[in-house]
Amino acid sequence: MGETKKATAVGDMLPGTLDMLILKALSRGEAHGYSIVQFIHGASRDVLKVEEGALYPALHRLEVRGLLRAEWGTSENNRRAKYYRLTAAGRRELEAEAAYWDRVAAAVTRVMQTT
Amino acid sequence: MKAFWHRLVAIVRRRRLDRDLDDELAFHLAMREADYRTDGLSADAAREEARRQFGNVTHLKEQTRDMWTFPSLESFRQDIRYALRTLRKSPGFTFVAVFALAVGIGGNTAIFSLVDAIRSRALPYPDPDRLVQLWGNVQRTRVERRGASYPDYLDWRAQSKSFEDIAAADAQWMTFVGSDEPERIQTEFVAAPYFSLLGVSPARGRGFEANEDDVARPAPVVVLSDGFWKRRFAADPQVIGRTITLCCAARQYTVVGVMPPGFKGLSDTAELWVPFALYASPATMAARGSRGFVALARLKPGVTLATAQSEMDTISRRLEQAYPNTNEKRAVEVSPLAVELFGNLRPALLTLMAAVAFVLLIACANVANLLIARSEARRREIAVRTALGAGRGRLLRQLVTESCVLTMLGAAVGLILARVAVATLIAQSPVTFPSFATPDLDTRVAVFTIAVSLVCGLLVGLVPGLQAQAPDLSSSLKESARSSGGRQSQRLRSALVIAEVSLAVVLLVGAGLMIRSVRNLAALNPGFDPQSVLTLHVSIPRTSVPPAAPAGAEAPATPAPAPRPVVEGRVLLDRLRAIPGVAAATLANGLPLDGDGGASFYAAEGQPAVNAQNVPRIYVHLVTPDFFSTLRIPVVSGRTFNDAEISPTSQVAIVSEGVVKRFWPGQDPIGKRVKFGSLTSSSPWMSIVGVVGEVKYRGLPQNPTADPDIYLPFADRNSLLGIALRTTVPPSSLIGTVRAAVRAADPSIPVYNIATMDELVSRQTSQSRFTMWLMGVFAACALMLAVVGIYGVMSYLVSQRTREIGIRLALGAKGQDILRLVVGNGARLIGAGIVLGIAASFALQRLVSSLLFGVTTADAAAGFAVVILAAVAMLACYLPALRATRVSPLNALRSE
Repeated sequence: MGETKKATAVGDMLPGTLDMLILKALSRGEAHGYSIVQFIHGASRDVLKVEEGALYPALHRLEVRGLLRAEWGTSENNRRAKYYRLTAAGRRELEAEAAYWDRVAAAVTRVMQTT
Repeated sequence: MKAFWHRLVAIVRRRRLDRDLDDELAFHLAMREADYRTDGLSADAAREEARRQFGNVTHLKEQTRDMWTFPSLESFRQDIRYALRTLRKSPGFTFVAVFALAVGIGGNTAIFSLVDAIRSRALPYPDPDRLVQLWGNVQRTRVERRGASYPDYLDWRAQSKSFEDIAAADAQWMTFVGSDEPERIQTEFVAAPYFSLLGVSPARGRGFEANEDDVARPAPVVVLSDGFWKRRFAADPQVIGRTITLCCAARQYTVVGVMPPGFKGLSDTAELWVPFALYASPATMAARGSRGFVALARLKPGVTLATAQSEMDTISRRLEQAYPNTNEKRAVEVSPLAVELFGNLRPALLTLMAAVAFVLLIACANVANLLIARSEARRREIAVRTALGAGRGRLLRQLVTESCVLTMLGAAVGLILARVAVATLIAQSPVTFPSFATPDLDTRVAVFTIAVSLVCGLLVGLVPGLQAQAPDLSSSLKESARSSGGRQSQRLRSALVIAEVSLAVVLLVGAGLMIRSVRNLAALNPGFDPQSVLTLHVSIPRTSVPPAAPAGAEAPATPAPAPRPVVEGRVLLDRLRAIPGVAAATLANGLPLDGDGGASFYAAEGQPAVNAQNVPRIYVHLVTPDFFSTLRIPVVSGRTFNDAEISPTSQVAIVSEGVVKRFWPGQDPIGKRVKFGSLTSSSPWMSIVGVVGEVKYRGLPQNPTADPDIYLPFADRNSLLGIALRTTVPPSSLIGTVRAAVRAADPSIPVYNIATMDELVSRQTSQSRFTMWLMGVFAACALMLAVVGIYGVMSYLVSQRTREIGIRLALGAKGQDILRLVVGNGARLIGAGIVLGIAASFALQRLVSSLLFGVTTADAAAGFAVVILAAVAMLACYLPALRATRVSPLNALRSE
């Protein structure tokens, strides 16, 4: 949005990253899609801009894979909203992904710092 | 795995998932919108911005949905939708194809439901595969099937280890004497384990105890069927312990149980059951040579039929050694109950199943042909799709989907046809299905139908699909739509026509043979004249008033003193003879084709020594003097009885020609003597006073065994009488009068089995007629479909060759030449089909030979069928050929 900050669509980053971010967002407790978007925005200080619609295929994919469980509940402003929660499998997946990410990120950093 | 499950669930709950997704996305948009509003945007701007931020909603929804569904399934849905659209665009093609398939699939479904209804699992007993019947067999000139004797049965029970239990059983008629008219009731005499063996227990009360089934002291107890209990006792819950009167022994029986609804015993008609110990007199029960009933048995779990059979073989050999007089050459046949109950229906139904499968094959060939024609017309479409990147597999799948949609439509219409057909078949069928075998369009039949239609869809779709292999893109796109199909496809279509014709030939030949066979049966001389004869049976009750003891009474089965009949049979006969319209009347202990009657061994004076295999055996009938004139049985030599001979003491006999042929060929048999038993038996000699023609007494087209008949003077010893009346008016018009006359003689006489002799004859051939009728229908369907196929192919051929024909005409060919060209083309195909079909008919002859009577494949009827087919098929090519001769050369050349 902003002209000053260069926003990156998550999809442009490494594949699978969005899934990891979603799992991370949900590791803090159950949340609906909108709040997941907001968490990613906020936590990345608006660097990572999820194309908001793209979130949903990812959420449903994760649900089909059994990493998330969804339930209908009531939102803070009293609307019907679908809340997602990590399953045990989701938690394991997050750990694996995070470890992998650390390794890749560190490797990329090392490459970039090599003079 | 989990994902797969989720997706399966999603198919079922698709609507719900769609709605949830809508809600979820709407919630997101609303939240975003609300945030923008608080940032100070206007309502419209906020919504606009939220949507922009979100992206393409439809696209995302679709993407999300793909997470839940099988993408290949989605494209399958597309294919189906596309197929339906293309089919809708060519209604003529669709109609013809669906109709052809509906006839084929519907016919198959209908016959399959009949075949399925007589599978062994249809038997209404638990573990029906373990139920068997034990028959006594005897090795004579060939193996003949007989019943068991009580002593044999006891030995089988005691010595065999293959069976959980064995129970003697036989059905007989008894007269129930209640408050209203006496009623004939089919009664089964059954051994105590009978009910538990079948696995059916009484709904009320109990079955028989072993001590009630004791020949020394049989207990007069009875078990009622549910129907009888409701009809005669108004479902009285207090019925257990009441007594009922059954005669002719006029005995009181105590009711001990009531069977559950639907149970009618092995005979499928029984309403009462009494202990087997009451089956015959103690003397008869003790005679090892007196065989008459079949034993029911249940194999132990895990024991095979072969094991049981070999054990019974061992036992019969042991009995043969122990009792050579009665058991020489005697064996036991262990036969599955399902085979006994359904066996006679099976060959006819399997033949029909094959016939109707042929009809379906012809229908498939037709549809495949139509599809090839279409796929040629669609070459451009297919080429365009290939050019746009559709893979071969994808195109093939599309074509197969289309044909499967066609066959499923055909199956849907076919199911409706089958429903009607099955109802009609059952209603019209002269063949009685067992009451528990109710053909129905149930799940199994539906699965069969769907499977058949999918296989058909695959077949008819793959043929044109594979044939359209490797289209040359550039040439296909350049070609005009009307250009003729490739050589290869032409050859394929010709092959299909040949196949259709040959299948139709097989069916027509089959139908022709059936028709001929039924006509042979109808023309068969049964040895008597069945026209204008009314038959009935009566059971004359006996009063227990002791009569003057008949001198020299010898029937061991009748306990002395014999009770006296309420009416003398001959008095009753006089009353019937007096009815206007009755020309002649006769009494006998049994009439031809009425299903009763038994045989005895006999000996002829001066006969050579005999052994177990050729000991003479003869069927015994007791008749009044006018028996032969009433039934018009020809007297070959000698005379019939005179009135003076109608007495229990007269020792005269009339024999059928078979006896003379065996013992006195070329001699005058009159005055020769025969006796029952062996030459040394104590039976009195009987002199032959007459010889009559052989009568098909026990079955058409043949008596089950070749044994001849002996007629003895009727004496009023029997209470069950057969009466035949020769009438001068249509016999069925006298039924009411005859009943009234019997009632007037004595109201306690039940009349049963009233039928014209023609009906009895036609019952014998009913299965043949039923099969013939269905074969005829199938052959007609086959002929029609084949002709439609030939017509279609020839028309197509002509339209494809319009240009060539135009050129020929322009170059001076005459209409006749063109006609010859086209018809000749068709005639070659038809000729090839007929030759193949005849060859196949010969090969398949074996399958139907058991259903045929007096015909071989080389019958004129078969030739006639082929001629019909050739004529109709030629007509089907002639019409398009005629059209070809009318081609205007100018138009033909311009049509490009």
